[in-house]
Amino acid sequence: MSNETVRAYVGKRIKELRTAYGEDGISQEALAADLKVAANTISRWETGTYEPTLDDLERLSRFFGVSIVQFFPQVEEQDPKSKKVDALLRAAQSLHQDDLDELRRYAEYRRARSLQKGTKQRKRP
Amino acid sequence: MRLLAGQIRDQYGLQTPRVLKSDLRRIYKDQGIHIDLWPYKLRKLRGAYFNDAEGASVMLARGLPDDPMIFTMGHELKHHLVDRDSIVALCDPSNQSAEIEIGAEIFAAEMIYPESMFRDDLLRLGVTMGSCTAEQLVALKRETKTTLSYAGIAKRAEFLGFAPQNSLAKVAWKKLEESIYGVPFYKQRLAARMHSF
Repeated sequence: MSNETVRAYVGKRIKELRTAYGEDGISQEALAADLKVAANTISRWETGTYEPTLDDLERLSRFFGVSIVQFFPQVEEQDPKSKKVDALLRAAQSLHQDDLDELRRYAEYRRARSLQKGTKQRKRP
Repeated sequence: MRLLAGQIRDQYGLQTPRVLKSDLRRIYKDQGIHIDLWPYKLRKLRGAYFNDAEGASVMLARGLPDDPMIFTMGHELKHHLVDRDSIVALCDPSNQSAEIEIGAEIFAAEMIYPESMFRDDLLRLGVTMGSCTAEQLVALKRETKTTLSYAGIAKRAEFLGFAPQNSLAKVAWKKLEESIYGVPFYKQRLAARMHSF
């Protein structure tokens, strides 16, 4: 999948999540205000004109209450090592639940970075 | 662990007890470890080491003061050098007793301020076994400009027998430092600014 296709996919996912937010969805302006970005940035993300950074996607995922990896096309079977990470995080009982949640988010952030990097590398000849 | 810490110090030219974040960043870059400063609130977690299909990376709690940040970076570096097959190491105060974590604590302390150097510095300041006071440790930190925290220095002084066990556990280090050397200039300016409002 090319970088442009992924960017379009990410834009589509942002729009889907935004319009399905709450009962009536949330306007681009309101979302922009919450994320502290310019109002037209949301529009540009959704149309694929701009590519949101991973940090932008992390903030969006927190706002919508979804995993950051949901902004990327579904990948096939997870790498066995990533599965082990999931299992280890589940087993880390000594950690406070909030810290555990942050670690899961970080693990997903790393996965998203890998997905993003993968699409950019594949684009090169 | 001490041997490994010494090797890392030699390899990267760390010659004083003042190891900086920039030193650790240089080492991380050379070792191929990605640093992520995590801007979201963490309760007790200071850092975590991950090594899987996505590569080696360390999550660090953004906003940690310099000394604890440097120590945490040293701690996570040990996980990369020694425990990288573990895939993930979660580092918060509650699991400091685990063997793998104790090793990382020893490595970090030794990499920042080698025990032999610490002992020599204390003896040079005239500190004798069992007599070390909190004031002398403040003087040591001040003179050597070490980035090992007061907590780390105190723990080591007790461990080596320079100070009686638990004699330094409840010292308010920053307050003591300010009572001896005065309030730092940046704090004075901050306080003046607060008063002007």
